Amino acid sequence: MKTVLLPSRATPFVSFRFLFETGSIDDPRGREGTAALAGAALAEGGTRKLSYEQLLEALYPMAAGIGVQVDREVTVVQGTVHADHLDRYYDLVRQVLIEPRFDLKEVSRLKDDQENALVAGLRATDDEGLGKEALMAMMYAGHPYGRPVEGTVAGLQAIGRDEVVAFRDAHLTQDRLTVGLAGRFPDAFADRVLADLAGLPTNGAVRPALPAPKKASGMEALVVTKPARAWAISLGHPIAVTRADDDFYPLFVANSYFGEHRTFNGVLMNAMRSLRGLNYGDYSYVEAFVQDGGSTFPLPNVGRRQQAFTIWIRPVAPAHAHFATRQAVRELRRLIESGLTRAAFEETREFLGHYDKLWVQTPSRRLGYAMDGAFYGTGSLPEELGRRLPSMTVDDVNAAIRRHLSAENLHLAVVADPDGAGPFVEALGANAPSPIVYETETRPEVVIEDRSIAVEKLDTDPRRCRVVPADTMFEV
Amino acid sequence: MIRPTFPYPIVETKLDNGLPVVAIPLDTPGLIAHYVAVRTGSRNEIEPGLTGFAHFFEHMMFRGTPRFSPERYNDVLKRLGADGNAFTTDDWTCYHVTAASEALETIMDLEADRFMHLRYDVEAFQKEAGAVLGEYNKNYSIPFNALFEKLADTAYTTHTYKHTTMGFLRDIETMPQQYDYSLKFFDRWYRPDNAVLVVAGDCDPERVFELARRHYGPWRAGAASLRTPAEPPQDAERTAHLPWAAPTLPLLAMAFHAPAFDPGAVEVRALDVLAQACFAPTSPLYRELVLERQWVDWLAAGAEDHRDPTLFLVLARVKEAAHISGVRAAIERTLASAADAALPEERLAAVRSRLRYGFLSGLMTPDQVANTVCHFFQLSGTTGAIDRSFATLDDVAAADLVRAAGTTFRAENRTVVTLIHS
Repeated sequence: MKTVLLPSRATPFVSFRFLFETGSIDDPRGREGTAALAGAALAEGGTRKLSYEQLLEALYPMAAGIGVQVDREVTVVQGTVHADHLDRYYDLVRQVLIEPRFDLKEVSRLKDDQENALVAGLRATDDEGLGKEALMAMMYAGHPYGRPVEGTVAGLQAIGRDEVVAFRDAHLTQDRLTVGLAGRFPDAFADRVLADLAGLPTNGAVRPALPAPKKASGMEALVVTKPARAWAISLGHPIAVTRADDDFYPLFVANSYFGEHRTFNGVLMNAMRSLRGLNYGDYSYVEAFVQDGGSTFPLPNVGRRQQAFTIWIRPVAPAHAHFATRQAVRELRRLIESGLTRAAFEETREFLGHYDKLWVQTPSRRLGYAMDGAFYGTGSLPEELGRRLPSMTVDDVNAAIRRHLSAENLHLAVVADPDGAGPFVEALGANAPSPIVYETETRPEVVIEDRSIAVEKLDTDPRRCRVVPADTMFEV
Repeated sequence: MIRPTFPYPIVETKLDNGLPVVAIPLDTPGLIAHYVAVRTGSRNEIEPGLTGFAHFFEHMMFRGTPRFSPERYNDVLKRLGADGNAFTTDDWTCYHVTAASEALETIMDLEADRFMHLRYDVEAFQKEAGAVLGEYNKNYSIPFNALFEKLADTAYTTHTYKHTTMGFLRDIETMPQQYDYSLKFFDRWYRPDNAVLVVAGDCDPERVFELARRHYGPWRAGAASLRTPAEPPQDAERTAHLPWAAPTLPLLAMAFHAPAFDPGAVEVRALDVLAQACFAPTSPLYRELVLERQWVDWLAAGAEDHRDPTLFLVLARVKEAAHISGVRAAIERTLASAADAALPEERLAAVRSRLRYGFLSGLMTPDQVANTVCHFFQLSGTTGAIDRSFATLDDVAAADLVRAAGTTFRAENRTVVTLIHS
């Protein structure tokens, strides 16, 4: 058991994070979705003493909840409560962790919810999420990262309550646990928590090794079809570094320059949205990024031992999908060939040197980042940047780009309407020109560059392009 | 003396041009949030064919001034490592920046400049219209958004809440032709007497006021006073149905016209209590529909604070279309019984506690604090509305709940919209 404690009197709240190094990679074969269901059932399955209804009743006046976030490799049980209610709240958290009930009625409800999230949510009504998961399925074919945390339809249907209980006993164990507390808790409180957690199973299943992800040869495309007014596009490839590696940090700087999430800093955003009005946003990532609610910042505690470089093109008009794909690849090629200028590097470094403070504004987020540091065996991301940025050079950044990024071997996932998918794939496979026509005024230099983008060569081949209906994704 | 709920000191002043300036010092070392709320949203879109303009205009505010081109504006924010963005609601438009506290003066300079000297050409205007259409398209695959669009269009006949903040699609598509109107829109509404500046975080109020006078002082007053048409009382139930092409779970929305925000109005706070008592996860209805029968996987209700009379909305995501009528009947039974039987005092106390602690837990960062203060200010024109509103919550008695339920949850005041895969 590891611990991360961040006591503070500056807040009247106390935040808890119990991070277990387990997630959907530990799903038993044929029971895909078990980790997510076990997490949900821990939070909503009641405790030995309290039914879920009674648990809700107890939490209600505190306006606090016990949430569980399950990712590929990390499961975190978390909550924040006003110090007025600390003892009563902690008693509930303790029961959930140590004495879960896994009420059959709740497990069956949650299983139903999880299947709906997959079938009626992700596959049917979340085109952007579906595009990202389709990309994961390509990059990680035959690898436990290659399916959503929710699992598969067949896997979920096969899970019984006993398997949920067995999963908890084998994976939510002391040897996989990091305990995190932040905010206004009394001095002896942490000891009490640690003593209680000795009630968890000591150890269980061995943490599995991960296979190597699949490298694309040239551009490989997966077009997922469903009714879609505009098409969501994701592309990318696995990379060999995570926060545990020195090269991750210069690559992180390069990515901020190229596609910082939901800002106008990025090359992609300016070229595609600002200059051309193609869509609402265009960003890139060098690690898994799950946005925290409506904010600009990522959720902490989605640590992974393998990461990917990805580009997210928010939905574009179908007629612009081929053009937008070409433009993103062209910008990536330019990044790899030319790198950052010294001035661009300095600006980006200065940006990150301040911006990282905004990631850790609440005690809970500060705690989450510190615990991610423990996951990777490093300091928190802001600490690592603070330590590394001052001595980083533009050459470090450009070398890291050349070592880790490719614009040639790329997986491309597109969520498209069934009628448009065929012609799109045909045009993609044939590298047919994709000229763009604007209904609005466009400056001459943009129009001139568009002519080059329209014929930018993508290394595609019809044999590497697949079209799959959305409702067949993640069935088994 | 009203019992204070807001946990931080509020220091405020008003500039000569009518701009209210609010400073809230917080123990957030080195961090501040700078918020400007313009008290104009889609409710002000009174001209036919020009819906969605408040939101579109929010986008245009990032298109530059003679001093700061969009690139330069962004470069400055980037160097500061700031997080800046904006959003638009039915009632207001918000421009916010969070950054290191030493950046405050630069941010004021940058932000005040665009409120006074925004300038963009036709091309920039038209490209941004493309981004707005892209935003509509990205939202459109989400059934809830389509449902809200249909609901507003059905429940309202006259008031501008008839359209969502995005606007009618037909109007979004003609936006590129409305360059001249955009200039008029700015001139009408982007005025200091129609806005509020809030700075929260590691700041000294006197310094905030001094900087505000220097940078926002020259902003000229003169907000338009155009009336939004009032919605006439509804006299018969309205219904609508939205078929949905992708396989999704059925959605049921039931809405009732409800009063505008008023911090002193018991009937407004009574509806907040009813939303909790009747629909929260601890309510008998939630237990029945979500936990026992498992017909519904998502249930929520409430009336969002609005400047004009709004809707009390009940939303249920139903697992099978066959259960929609049963779910609807259960909701109607719940609302009818709220008008018949008094809520036990113990339950009322739990709801009050829930609302109070829920409010406090949303005030942890400079952003959250500034956003909350802007929200109440844009509604009421005062920061005092926060504590007042919670004092009114304490005054809500069981009899007020019965009265509010009886007045609001009437069949002829009801609009029901369903969305089903077909």
